[in-house]
Amino acid sequence: MKPLAALNTLRARIILGEAALVVGLVVVAVIGIGALQTVKNTVTQELASLTAVSAENNRLVTALFEQVRAAEQYLTDGSVEARNAFSSGGEAAHTYQRRLQTLPELAEADRLVVTRVGVLQAEAEVLYSFAHAQQDLGRRGDAQSGARLARERATEMLRLVGLLSTSQSVRAETTASSLEQAATDREMLVWTVLAASVLIAVAIGVATLQSVERPLTRLAAAARRFGDGDLRPVALGGMPSELTTLGEAMDRLGGTLRTLVTEVVEESERMAGAAEDLSAISEQLAATAGDVSTAMEEVSSGAQRQVAGLNESCAAGQNLHGATEDAGHVSSRVAELGADIHRLAETYGTDIDAAGNTLVELGNLVQQTARQVEELDELSEPIYEFIDLIKQISSQTNLLALNAAIEAARAGERGVGFSVVAEEVRQLADTSAQAAERVSGTIKTIRDHVSAMGETMAAGRAQARGVGAVSQGAAEALRQIVTTVKEIETESRRVAGHAAQNLTAVDNITQALRSASDAAQSHASSSEEVAAAAQEQGASTEEMAAQAAVLNRAAEHLRSLVKAFRA
Amino acid sequence: MAESHRGSHLRPPRAISRSILLVLAGLTLAACNPSEEPILIGLAGPFSQPRAQSMQFAAQLAVSEINQQGGVRGRPLQLVVQDDSGLADIAVRVARVLYDDPNVVAVVGHMNSGATLAAARVYNSGDNPLVEISPSASSPDLSGAGPYTFRVCPSDSIHGTQLAEWARDRLGANRVAILYENDAYGRGLRTTFRNSFIERGGQIVSDDPFSAVLPSFEPYLTRIRSRGGADVVLFAGARAGAAEMLRTLNMIRFQPTVIGGDGAAGIETAEVDAEGVYISLAYLHDQPGARNETFTSEYRRIYGGQLPDHRGAGAYDAVFLLARAIEAVGLNRVGIRDYLAGIGQVTEPYHGVTGSIGFDANGDVVDRDVVIGIVSNNRLESVAR
Repeated sequence: MKPLAALNTLRARIILGEAALVVGLVVVAVIGIGALQTVKNTVTQELASLTAVSAENNRLVTALFEQVRAAEQYLTDGSVEARNAFSSGGEAAHTYQRRLQTLPELAEADRLVVTRVGVLQAEAEVLYSFAHAQQDLGRRGDAQSGARLARERATEMLRLVGLLSTSQSVRAETTASSLEQAATDREMLVWTVLAASVLIAVAIGVATLQSVERPLTRLAAAARRFGDGDLRPVALGGMPSELTTLGEAMDRLGGTLRTLVTEVVEESERMAGAAEDLSAISEQLAATAGDVSTAMEEVSSGAQRQVAGLNESCAAGQNLHGATEDAGHVSSRVAELGADIHRLAETYGTDIDAAGNTLVELGNLVQQTARQVEELDELSEPIYEFIDLIKQISSQTNLLALNAAIEAARAGERGVGFSVVAEEVRQLADTSAQAAERVSGTIKTIRDHVSAMGETMAAGRAQARGVGAVSQGAAEALRQIVTTVKEIETESRRVAGHAAQNLTAVDNITQALRSASDAAQSHASSSEEVAAAAQEQGASTEEMAAQAAVLNRAAEHLRSLVKAFRA
Repeated sequence: MAESHRGSHLRPPRAISRSILLVLAGLTLAACNPSEEPILIGLAGPFSQPRAQSMQFAAQLAVSEINQQGGVRGRPLQLVVQDDSGLADIAVRVARVLYDDPNVVAVVGHMNSGATLAAARVYNSGDNPLVEISPSASSPDLSGAGPYTFRVCPSDSIHGTQLAEWARDRLGANRVAILYENDAYGRGLRTTFRNSFIERGGQIVSDDPFSAVLPSFEPYLTRIRSRGGADVVLFAGARAGAAEMLRTLNMIRFQPTVIGGDGAAGIETAEVDAEGVYISLAYLHDQPGARNETFTSEYRRIYGGQLPDHRGAGAYDAVFLLARAIEAVGLNRVGIRDYLAGIGQVTEPYHGVTGSIGFDANGDVVDRDVVIGIVSNNRLESVAR
């Protein structure tokens, strides 16, 4: 969300659009340059390899033709030059073949052709030499038949080197077309990237424009609304931050206006309401002033009745005093019982704690034993290793004994005695291997027993843990009982204390009731005075009602004025 | 508590196991511990063909001797035999198999030049190159084929120059006729012989190619004789051609001295009269040297009276060289290569059955003279030089 927020300014959007365009152009340039360089390198490489192969190939073809020509010439004129040209042409051809063979650029198929050419050339050379020898000996017929055989090879050989040249030109064509294809592909790529970057830049531009235009329209509409008295808030969502600032300023202005109008409206309403209330109350006051004086008279007679009632209460207070004294006695008895329970619980608690400790010790003992059993189990591991070693030694001894037996057999008569010994040694090795196997079986049994024991121990340990938990629970319960009993004790003591205090309070209440009775008598006389004052108030209240009506009218006027604004 | 208990219980078995293993180690020194993981060495050659038999026999003899003496670093050597049929493409395939097996630390092979050269491309490539020591590939093209390619035999160019020296200085030949097999081996031997012989003031009277397509040697040989003969005929080719040529010589009753390169080895047992033919060899079973005497007598005893050839002797030396390298630097392929490259330069040359072995920068054996053998009673015997 945050990076998106960072993009929410006009500046950022414009920079982004520009950057996308620049990056696109750079990519296009890089791809373009890369493509050009690749094509250049490939062309250079391919040309070099084609040149190397075809140069050797041309030399080979020339040498082969020269050799065949010289061979044929020698058959007709028997000249020394022809003989020399034949052998030097042959040597040159062999050299070029070898060089061609070692060129890494040579295609595998061509390599096979070159090998075949070499074989044919060697055969043709032998057959021409044979024909030349026949020729030198004056055997023309034999020379011709030898030459025929040689020509068969030579023809095939020259056809094959022709193929080699063709294959080179085919390869050149293939290379050219693949280069062309590669260049076209790169071109397409460049165009695609260019188009894509232009599209992205345009899209970002359009988006930026829209993000400016829409909020501006909205803000203008809001300003118009304000002018018309519509002060509802401006919607700020989805704006670039610069416009959001502007919108917020407008919104603040609208907000201030809105608050102002609202306050005025409320104030005028309140004022009107108050005026109404005022007139209503003043009317009511006027009406009730009469009622008050009537009521006051009733109060005066009620006070007298109260005095009689209070005197009765004093008698009841005396009864309460006796009951409270009883409660104090009961509470003291409860406290004594609690102390008994407390003593009992403490005695049992010590016993249970002792039992719990014994169980924990038992648990530890079992755990220790279990650990020792585990150690015993682990100890059997090195014993196994030891047995393995014994087995290994006996099998090697067995092999040695076998070798010794073979050697003894080789030694013949002299080895007979030794072979008996070797056999004894071999049997000894066998026996020790079997013994080791038996030991390994015994250890297995012991190990099984030990692990069974370990399981029993583990079960015992779990049980001990269970019993321990139960006794701990019991001890805990007793402790709780003690605490509760203590609380009851405290509580009952407090009740006894309260009972004593209550006794005093009841006496106080009786006292208070008496003074209340005196006060009631004085109330009766003062309420008569109040009734007279209320009648006076009635007159001034009517005057106030008339003024409230004036205020009410002013408030109504103010309310109609602010109603034009819509908050 | 528990820890100290366990510790005191464990001590006795550990002490026992240590002492027992020490005793066992002592036993395995006498005869290599067979339960140890063996060290694998590739052995590549055309073992389905009789010509490679000696190579395999001798390599196995070397391995069993090394293992009898306790193996290498307490571990036995074991050969991983791959048959390359003597062909370049199959050699590449079997080389790939050996290369890809991380337990193979080096290869003895291949036997012939074409296979060795083709396989060298595999062995010298990639992240984990593998040493190949050829016992008998003699093509000059193999020089510098790659830092992991070695050979314990002299190259054909050494054969060519030393045969020329022999013909000119020991046989006193002035006129030599050359018959060469029209392949890389024949042309190579012929060219080095020819240049060297002319340099020594000799004359090449004829220089004729042959191959399987040649209808007959007769016109070549008749022409040599008709043009004043030759003191020596150099035969630069394989045994089959040599037999055919000797047959033709007998047929036309022309009896020049015939000398040949090691390609013609085996001619002594061919069904043709080859008495008196000289052949240059990287090794001959009766060449002097105490080490060689032990080797040949042991070989003869074990393989029913047969004798090792130069390929066998080369393979035997190659196995011992590798054992020495592994003993010194361990099983690391690169380490083995570096050790071998330093033999004769960083470390002392190795004195094997074929002679003293040290390597130059091309992986070729340095300062190695060829042995000249003569066919006598269907046997090749070395000639004192």
